[in-house]
Amino acid sequence: RMEASCLELALEGERLCKAGDCRAGVSFFEAAVQVGTEDLKTLSAIYSQLGNAYFYLHEYAKALEYHHHDLTLARTIGDLLGEAKASGNLGNTLKVLGNFEEAIACCQRHLDISRELNDKVGEARALYNLGNVYHSKGKNVASAGTHDPGELPDDVRNALQKAANYYEENLTIVTELGDRAAQGRAFGNLGNTHYLLGNFRSAVLAHEQRLLIAKEFGDRSAERRAYSNLGNAHIFLGEFETAAEYYKRTLQLARQLKDRAVEAQACYSLGNTYTLLQDYEKAIDYHLKHLVIAQELNDKIGEGRACWSLGNAYTALGNHDQAMHFAERHLEISREVGDRSGELTARLNLSDLQMVLGLSYSTNNSMMSESRVVENSLSGTRPRVGRRHSMENMELMKLTPEKVQNWN
Amino acid sequence: PCMKPGRQAAELQSKVVPSKQILHSDNMEMEPETMETKSVTDYFSKLHMGSLVYSCTSKRKNK
Repeated sequence: RMEASCLELALEGERLCKAGDCRAGVSFFEAAVQVGTEDLKTLSAIYSQLGNAYFYLHEYAKALEYHHHDLTLARTIGDLLGEAKASGNLGNTLKVLGNFEEAIACCQRHLDISRELNDKVGEARALYNLGNVYHSKGKNVASAGTHDPGELPDDVRNALQKAANYYEENLTIVTELGDRAAQGRAFGNLGNTHYLLGNFRSAVLAHEQRLLIAKEFGDRSAERRAYSNLGNAHIFLGEFETAAEYYKRTLQLARQLKDRAVEAQACYSLGNTYTLLQDYEKAIDYHLKHLVIAQELNDKIGEGRACWSLGNAYTALGNHDQAMHFAERHLEISREVGDRSGELTARLNLSDLQMVLGLSYSTNNSMMSESRVVENSLSGTRPRVGRRHSMENMELMKLTPEKVQNWN
Repeated sequence: PCMKPGRQAAELQSKVVPSKQILHSDNMEMEPETMETKSVTDYFSKLHMGSLVYSCTSKRKNK
């Protein structure tokens, strides 16, 4: 009777997780564990599903615990396939937790066993997971620094190159197996890896494949991801009009999918793209749209970025009142969220603007040029990180002597 | 190192953008992870159905 009850609870847990209600599924699995079972394979399946449910709920410490139990159990009962699966899941969880070295060891174990068992599907999945771990590792190290894509220290480059190799290996197998969905995933992440490596043409090719497969499946989320990634890559190729077109598709789909956060991101990207195209009216239009959604979502960081961008765009148009308004707002928000570098940037922007507004009353051009020289030499000593973190260094604010003269 | 309005036009004409001008608005969109799945029913059907079938047939034989 106890046996049946554990099974019944676990079956209900499975049903709930499949229906998408992981939270409820977890309670049934936990109850099943409480009741207990003599059948270690059943217990292993319960642990595994508990681990996955917690993974999808973003409770990674719990996920780690249960996948670890599953691995121990699989080893105890000599279930090699079960061990491979537990290792893979443990690897994915360790990756999310930032423990890359252990994650690699686990994913490698998944790969080794799959090869030993001549399990092609498992092998391909392990290769994809390994690619993901190396990608995360590379991105993690890279984001600790202040590098642009393509401008990378050796350890980052090595990790990303390994990721690309694993994705390529995965692609060979899943192509043989005719698994289009898996190909789509591999192309997407391969594209992102090429992007970080600075291989923007290769990134475009991969994301185009991803887009094609997303359309085949009618997978609109994947389609939207591909448009967004294609937009990013074209920015770095200097093809801003094309980038704008892709971002517009992203925006369209984000609206259809009713995802406000993604919609905000698309507006922000479009604002930046039109800034690069020097169409400041359009840039302002999109940055304002971004600002509205950021406020709606109570996303202070996004709001700060919007204000910074708007300040720059209004400055470029010579609308100093609006520029001042947004620079002040950026300063306020940076203080509110404790963004020290944002605060510094805002102060610098404000002092630049105050200088312009002050100088507009002056007619002494030679004095102005001198102050520009001082300003330029000072800008070299400004903390690089400060400008970078606060979006990114598009120093449209910086005023050339010619520009200042025009304003006089 | 900075992007000045006066210089911008010339720089925009060059094919590839100097990286420092880029706004990092782009957050990369990654594909989802794939987790390995186990199912109670898999093991249950293999294990218990097997023994069930066995017990049925053995009962029949006994008769």
